[in-house]
Amino acid sequence: MDGFSGLLHGFGVALTWYHVMLMVIGVLLGILVGVLPGLGAPNGVSLLLPLTFTMDPVSAIILLTSMYWGALFGGSTTSILFNIPGEPSSVATTFDGYPMAQNGRATEALSFAFLSAGFGAIVGVLLITALSGWVTQFALKFSSPEFFGVYFLAFASFVGLSGAPPLKAAVSIALGFSLAGVGMDSVSGSLRLTFGFDVLLAGISFLVAVIGLFGIGELILTIEDGLKLDGIRAKITPRDVLRTAAQMPKHWATLLRSSIVGCWMGITPGGPTAASFMSYGLAKRFSAYRANFGKGEPDGVIAPETADHSAGTSAMLPMMALGLPGSATAAVMLGGLMIWGLNPGPMLFVERPDFVWGLIASMYLGNVVAVVLVLATVPLFASILRIPFAIIGPLIVVVCFIGAYTIAGRPFDLWLALAFGVLGYVFKKLDYPIAPLILAMVIGDKAEDAFRQSMIMSKGSLTIFWSNPLVTGLMLLGLVLLFWPLLGTLRQRLRPSRV
Amino acid sequence: MVARWQAELGMAAFLAVIGVITIIGAMEYGVGWSPSGPEPGAFPFYMGIIILLASLANALRATLPRLRPPRWAEHAFLKPEQLRLVLGFTLPILGLVVVSLMLGLYVGMALYLFGTLVLQNRYPMLKAGLIALATPFLAYLLIERVFKVGMLKGPLEAWLGL
Repeated sequence: MDGFSGLLHGFGVALTWYHVMLMVIGVLLGILVGVLPGLGAPNGVSLLLPLTFTMDPVSAIILLTSMYWGALFGGSTTSILFNIPGEPSSVATTFDGYPMAQNGRATEALSFAFLSAGFGAIVGVLLITALSGWVTQFALKFSSPEFFGVYFLAFASFVGLSGAPPLKAAVSIALGFSLAGVGMDSVSGSLRLTFGFDVLLAGISFLVAVIGLFGIGELILTIEDGLKLDGIRAKITPRDVLRTAAQMPKHWATLLRSSIVGCWMGITPGGPTAASFMSYGLAKRFSAYRANFGKGEPDGVIAPETADHSAGTSAMLPMMALGLPGSATAAVMLGGLMIWGLNPGPMLFVERPDFVWGLIASMYLGNVVAVVLVLATVPLFASILRIPFAIIGPLIVVVCFIGAYTIAGRPFDLWLALAFGVLGYVFKKLDYPIAPLILAMVIGDKAEDAFRQSMIMSKGSLTIFWSNPLVTGLMLLGLVLLFWPLLGTLRQRLRPSRV
Repeated sequence: MVARWQAELGMAAFLAVIGVITIIGAMEYGVGWSPSGPEPGAFPFYMGIIILLASLANALRATLPRLRPPRWAEHAFLKPEQLRLVLGFTLPILGLVVVSLMLGLYVGMALYLFGTLVLQNRYPMLKAGLIALATPFLAYLLIERVFKVGMLKGPLEAWLGL
């Protein structure tokens, strides 16, 4: 099925009352987790996922992706009104969003944020619509070595490009793979790394890890900061929105540039957070009003928001077409796909076109629903943040532990959630990146299978990873990215000696 | 006060131990080549090696003054008042887990909420009690009635016949 007819078919799937209702619920829940400190998109989706096991996969993914869009929007609300990023990816929005709000332009800042976010999201979905067929055709030629090459490239780019200390990124990734290895080995059926503990037989769920690392870890960090909420009140009227919308075309260059940055970072696993920072930096460099950045410049809101959302949506493309998630939240959803019995990757397009195109169509609708709902509910959700953290904090803790238990009904998971929470707190404080750990946990089995299948094909020779131009290209690019930080250090060392 | 470099060193040591444990665990299942491909332990074995080596490098970076960023020496990882806040938040969670495993999550969450609100935040008993009772009730409705997912239960639920 090609792009257009597939999309039409998809709208047929997505445009039912039931699915639109799920979108509304998902977006509202998403805004809620986006607004609340400690609950973010990856964590929110993890909490909701166990409750969707009994749902039809199409409905379930619509609910979860809508929650993702909602969380992205909710994160921007708190960035602008409270100077507290609800999501890591909305940190850059605080730089100019909060000053704008302080200057009495809160409504304008929020409208700019939501409209440009909506624009970025739509560009991301358009890209997915246009490219998914092509990427799938391309990916159908892949066999095990190529898949391993893609995984290798993804993880190498985390080490080389994510901005986290490379050695720490490497530790996170390897730790994630090791955790994924606990329990039953999917190839040989033998039990690994259980050390005789029965509770480890079933493995360690990545969902528990997300709830601990992102949820509880984030809460401990919030507490440590001695959180003080000092919000700016804002009410949005349709007239304000229209007035801001009329100004949007003036910012076309920023919108376009930020969308490209976002799509690129979403498809390569740079993720929304890196995309928003990069886009903010570029907007500042190219702006005629560079001095105004940080003091309340609309471009400083538009740039990170557009990039954040286009990265968030376009991260779904590699997730569906290659089985390789572009962000932590996409990783959680990928895990969900596998739990629902779907096989992410190119065959998904062939076997379940209703699922794929239903999802893509729902992304158009979901983002439109999200823009409307978030504009309408800003005062409501902002008032939630005025509830003292003394109440909200413990309630979020309770929600996290309920979520951890409902994943599999295992009491031991409560201990795991707590342990991952403490680990996540220390990891964040010491700059160990968490997203690659989650990614490795989710696709650990697939990456390992790809490696073992390749080894079986080549009878144990690593040369299989150099056996054709495609896999050689992937591996070479991966190696360059892997050693990129080292090259940077070498360049720095060489430069002074030349002078 | 814990300095940043001490925390870095501690974490690197902890992860190095995890690396060694992974390696030992992987070796139980063979890390070499079998007629049916790589043995089950091979992949985790190499992951353990990466964790171990990278952590040793991180440990060196934290300890050797020549390698470590200057700010790590004086920069505090955790100030005493932060430690107090963090423990004040984390220890009740530990209590929540222990109590929930004995008495079920509903009772655990009610006691935890009541405890943190009254003892830590000096909320009036009545208000705290209301929150502590309403939360498990709402959770029950949502989780067990709407989504029909089972919950960790204890003697109280058995007595109530839920």
